[in-house]
Amino acid sequence: MRRLVAAPALSIAIALLGSTAGAQFDRRLSAAGTSDLAAGRRIFDAQCAWCHGANGTGGTGPGLQRPTLGHAANDAALVQIVRNGIPGTEMPSFAIALTDRMAWQTAAYVRSLGRVRPGPQPGDPQRGAALYESSGCASCHVVKGRGGPLGPELTRVGALRGAPYLRDALVTPAAAHPPGYLVVRAVKADGSEIRGVRVNEDVFWILIRDGGGVVHTLEKSTLAKVERELEASLMPSYASRLSGAELDDLVAYLASLRGER
Amino acid sequence: MRIRAATAVLVGATVASTFAQSSSDWTTYSGSFASHRFSPLQQLTPSNAPRLRPAWVYQPPGTGLVEMTPLVVNGVMYVTWGPTAVAALEIKSGRTIWEWTRPIAPSVLNLGFPRVNRGVALLENTVYVGTLDGYLAALDAKSGAERWIVPVGDNPTGHAVTAAPLAVDGKVIVGISGGEAGIRGYLDAFDARTGQQLWRFWTIPSPGEPGSNTWPGDSWVHGGGATWLTGSYDPALKLLYWGTGNPGPDWNGDSRVGDNLYTSSLVALDIETGKLRWHFQFTPHDVHDWDANQIPVLVDAEIAGRPRSLVVMANRNGFFYVLDRRTGEYLRGTPYAKQTWAKGLDERGRPILIPGMEPSEKGTLVYPSLQGATNWASPAYSPATGLLYVPVREMGSVYYKTAVEYRPGTYYTGGSEKRLDEESWGAVRALDLKTGRQVWDFALPSPTWAGVLATAGGLVFSGSNEGNFFALDAATGKPLWQFQTGGAIRSGPMSFAIDGRQHVAVAAGRAIFVFAVDDRS
Repeated sequence: MRRLVAAPALSIAIALLGSTAGAQFDRRLSAAGTSDLAAGRRIFDAQCAWCHGANGTGGTGPGLQRPTLGHAANDAALVQIVRNGIPGTEMPSFAIALTDRMAWQTAAYVRSLGRVRPGPQPGDPQRGAALYESSGCASCHVVKGRGGPLGPELTRVGALRGAPYLRDALVTPAAAHPPGYLVVRAVKADGSEIRGVRVNEDVFWILIRDGGGVVHTLEKSTLAKVERELEASLMPSYASRLSGAELDDLVAYLASLRGER
Repeated sequence: MRIRAATAVLVGATVASTFAQSSSDWTTYSGSFASHRFSPLQQLTPSNAPRLRPAWVYQPPGTGLVEMTPLVVNGVMYVTWGPTAVAALEIKSGRTIWEWTRPIAPSVLNLGFPRVNRGVALLENTVYVGTLDGYLAALDAKSGAERWIVPVGDNPTGHAVTAAPLAVDGKVIVGISGGEAGIRGYLDAFDARTGQQLWRFWTIPSPGEPGSNTWPGDSWVHGGGATWLTGSYDPALKLLYWGTGNPGPDWNGDSRVGDNLYTSSLVALDIETGKLRWHFQFTPHDVHDWDANQIPVLVDAEIAGRPRSLVVMANRNGFFYVLDRRTGEYLRGTPYAKQTWAKGLDERGRPILIPGMEPSEKGTLVYPSLQGATNWASPAYSPATGLLYVPVREMGSVYYKTAVEYRPGTYYTGGSEKRLDEESWGAVRALDLKTGRQVWDFALPSPTWAGVLATAGGLVFSGSNEGNFFALDAATGKPLWQFQTGGAIRSGPMSFAIDGRQHVAVAAGRAIFVFAVDDRS
């Protein structure tokens, strides 16, 4: 028995599709009509845009206004990614939420974003690379094996994050800190403090990497207080350190870092 | 106050059998039919707990998840792991006596839950285990030889058996999983000797039956109400108590306007017939996937000056309920974790809803999260302290609602969630049975999946996602001992004795750890 709860009137039409239903969602994504794309867009706006940005401009997740997508060589691969995510990345599975039809519609909408011609990207990546060096970014971030461990590795950051997110991360780092870089503040019994990135924590111990890169192993029972600073980042804002044009350059450089594939 | 221990019932006519229980054993999933997860052993105490050390560790072969509670009877420990395997271990050495594996193809469905098995039931000389592909198997306790195997549910349409069965009165009671696949839930009873089905209770009434008016049209056909966690039993009343799961579809309730009985409820069933004696629905017309698949704990206590036979449950929806277990009468309900969906409960225990808390296309932030303020991880009750120790998950979710259509063997949910991971935390929380009030709270870094064990020596054991297995003072919640196991604890601890020496066991990561006090240190 087949039933479409959201639109009962369609249930008879759907029933007629019977056992060919699976095949229906093997169609080329470019064959999607206006109503399928509209449905796909609604799903995208609700479930995907919080990472990929409205219209796929990019955010915490990569921008999707690209004719080719690294993990989705063909239509079937794209539908599969929409449904099941990409293991080992931040892209989660939506298998519980999306029916075959909805996954196909969403994938069709994502493919249509690749036909959007993105506006010209501001900034010059080469000037940005020089700014990366002169601003001391490498003291905390690794690119291609070189740099410090305090912040996230950036070797592939252009493939993982969208340009709007990268700019936010430079201007207001606290609003854009990635998972795994929680800032914590531990106050010892004598009142002294250790503030840094949480490397690990269990019920009884906490490991904190301070701004100098030193990892402190602290037994919680000896501490007066442990505070999670959900809105904080150890990274300073570059809003006043760099001009608007320089920020564009740095973002362009970071966006060009797509790993050694 | 009286502890309804399983001893009298189990021994009964089978004194000479393998499973005549002594207090040094752990004979059923929750430790007793009353499901206290309480060990009467008094040897481990706050003063010697700091000297607990690993006695042995068992690492099951393969890669299957380990989320079970071991049983121990007459010197043998019975353990399981996913998708469906059982081993009998000699309890002094930790070495295998036999092993039984059900071949489970990768194509076997597990829609909405991991490929797990949460434990066995024991009766006379037989071990009973559910299978991921939807069967109940009876194994010879001495050899592991399969005596019989009978179908419980159809896997291609999403049915599976992951819960430990409950063996009582010559019957084996088996619950079904599949609440995200649009199954119509049920609870089955089988003859423990032959495997013949004795009765089936459908958790969703068919048209014309009482409660059917809470389901419009044919929505009842895929109404959910899975029974995926082990229930409890009162031998004096001859009543089974079992929690039921979410209605289907989970997050889009448009097709099922009404209360959707008997989903997200506790049902009390006559053990002989499987007939419904009473029901209590915690979450009418649930749209947040707040299964009532928690452990119903049977307690005799004085409430408002009157001795009562109670069944209590810290529910996934964030409220702690106290009911009369003879009648189902609602006596009290109190929030025990952050919740933002109900103003409170009315005089009959029905939630007074806060408007606008349903899942939506754009997302609705609600506490608790989809996985609830607690979940399948067992609570413990100590008759010595009168406290219920609850594994708590403090977390919110943004709930989404999407369109949904039923197709056999696929998800039938109509939505999803985005969890607020970083702002979440967990706890072992002690609730006073008499008042519902929190007595102490032991915080954990993340929402817990570890069950809780209480012991007569005044200890509470539990674990964390971060791998800690620890002992707390049952009266104060003060930590007394911990061991870093190196793997997340998603299982229920238990206790037993070897030659009069008390041990504690828990599964962590993919291993089973057994601890005892090291007398040499």
